[in-house]
Amino acid sequence: MTESGPRTADPGSRSGPARWRPTSLEVFCAILVGALLLQRPLTDALSAPVVRTAATVFVAVCVQALPFLVLGVLLSGLITAFVPPSALTRILPRRPALAVPVAGLGGALLPGCECASVPVARRLIGQGMPDAAALAFLLAAPAVNPVVLVSTAVAFPGDPEMVGARFLGSLATAVVMGWLWTSFGRAGWIADRVRRRVTPAAGTARWMVCVETARHDLVTAGGFLVLGGLTAAVLNVTVPTGWTESLAGNVALAVIVLALLAVVLALCSEADAFVAASLSALPLLPRLVFLVVGPAVDVKLIALQSGTFGRGFAARFAPATFVVAVGCGVLAGLLVLGGAR
Amino acid sequence: MRRDTQNVVLVLLGGALLKIAANDVYLRYVRPGHRWLLIAAGAVILTVAVVTIVRDLRATRTGRPVGGDEHDCDHGHREPRSTWLLVLPVLTIFLVAPPALGADSVRVAGNSVGARPTSLGFEPLPPGAAPEVALADFVARAVWDETGELTERDVTLTGFVVRRDGSVHLARMMIACCAADARPMLVRLGGLDSDAPADQWLRVRARLVAGTASTLDGYTPAVRVLEATPIAAPPDPYEF
Repeated sequence: MTESGPRTADPGSRSGPARWRPTSLEVFCAILVGALLLQRPLTDALSAPVVRTAATVFVAVCVQALPFLVLGVLLSGLITAFVPPSALTRILPRRPALAVPVAGLGGALLPGCECASVPVARRLIGQGMPDAAALAFLLAAPAVNPVVLVSTAVAFPGDPEMVGARFLGSLATAVVMGWLWTSFGRAGWIADRVRRRVTPAAGTARWMVCVETARHDLVTAGGFLVLGGLTAAVLNVTVPTGWTESLAGNVALAVIVLALLAVVLALCSEADAFVAASLSALPLLPRLVFLVVGPAVDVKLIALQSGTFGRGFAARFAPATFVVAVGCGVLAGLLVLGGAR
Repeated sequence: MRRDTQNVVLVLLGGALLKIAANDVYLRYVRPGHRWLLIAAGAVILTVAVVTIVRDLRATRTGRPVGGDEHDCDHGHREPRSTWLLVLPVLTIFLVAPPALGADSVRVAGNSVGARPTSLGFEPLPPGAAPEVALADFVARAVWDETGELTERDVTLTGFVVRRDGSVHLARMMIACCAADARPMLVRLGGLDSDAPADQWLRVRARLVAGTASTLDGYTPAVRVLEATPIAAPPDPYEF
């Protein structure tokens, strides 16, 4: 990619055109001063009933997810700085058909929710892990780790089999998507920047590479996390959830609606089990699908993935994951729960 | 966005997380246990930003290429504009700090009571004239407890006022993780001689009306109010 004209004030534009252009620091200061001067009207505008709820939900999503994103970018920094590419290829089985499930199970080692796994998967690809394996890790990590499984068990005290069903459904989603990528995926769908290995200047300390990578991933992914939080907040106040109980009679419809709800609500995978448990009028199967779809594809994740792996990737990956997750969720439910329940 | 501006935004972002964790403001958005995560994340973001600023300053002074070149060359294109979005939560937290969810966010008509408990044995209510009972606990007991203890004893409930369809409810939001997954717990107040506006917090001494909290009223228990005292909003507005 090349610079498309001197539209932004990058430090690289040394040619020194005579016309003055504001640097991003000046724009930023102007925004700050403007916001300070307009604090009163802003506060008033945000206190209208629905807007106020949306603003609270927006800040809540950001504040809740940022620590996990920070954990993710720290890990991605450590991977880039300290894990040589050869180590990754040595750990994973050589055959992609086997590497995918192994990487999926490896997701159980990352105790966080979905925001943490996106930057980590990106750097795993950057360090030479096969795409399919890294994507299986990306999908499995938020759903099969111990924290999420324990919170599922706590949310469904009367139905312990939900834990096994969720584990199976989510792992199956990750593995099937990994295999699909092995067969049909094209390397070109993932943005080039993901693959470019970090080559530090000579003499740069490793910990500095770690800080630099973490910083870079944070400012990139952080913006998309905010975008996801904004979307989730708007949908949270505009999509009513009270009517879901009227779907109790139609399991097929309930499965589809709850799968879509999982996408638009963008709940943290450590909390979604409690919301699913509260939809007690519905059978267990659609609620299981809600738990399998949510950590794999939701508006916050789509924003993060398109920012990290490129828009072309997200446009193909997210819909495919949705279909596979619904299918795996239903199958896991039929196998483990023994029916719609 | 330029590298030095990014660092300023990161300093502010880390500062915002530390600021809300330093007092009770974070309780409007997340559960209490999230506090140390916020502090850790804020500290890491601040450290990363400060380390980068110091390193860049040193590099400029010694005339070496500005740090981070490894990334800029690495990419060969400008930094994504998405970073600008990070300014939004920073400004919202510092300038507005939205309040905890209130009556506006209660948009359902009844309670979602969750799964039927595995054992229906509830602990007896605490001793005393009108023991404090969490609203979620009260609703669960009203729906599932078959001993009828709640219809024989007064309890003290705390929540905020929600006015809907001509009746007054006492409500409290339950969260599992953050305010995005909040769901309300509602109790209908009968015999309240108060024109408390919506969102006013009340401490209410009340007794359950027998026969309510069934499928007919959306599992919303009705109570007879004996005494209602307006109180200030508590620092921890949610139940868990």
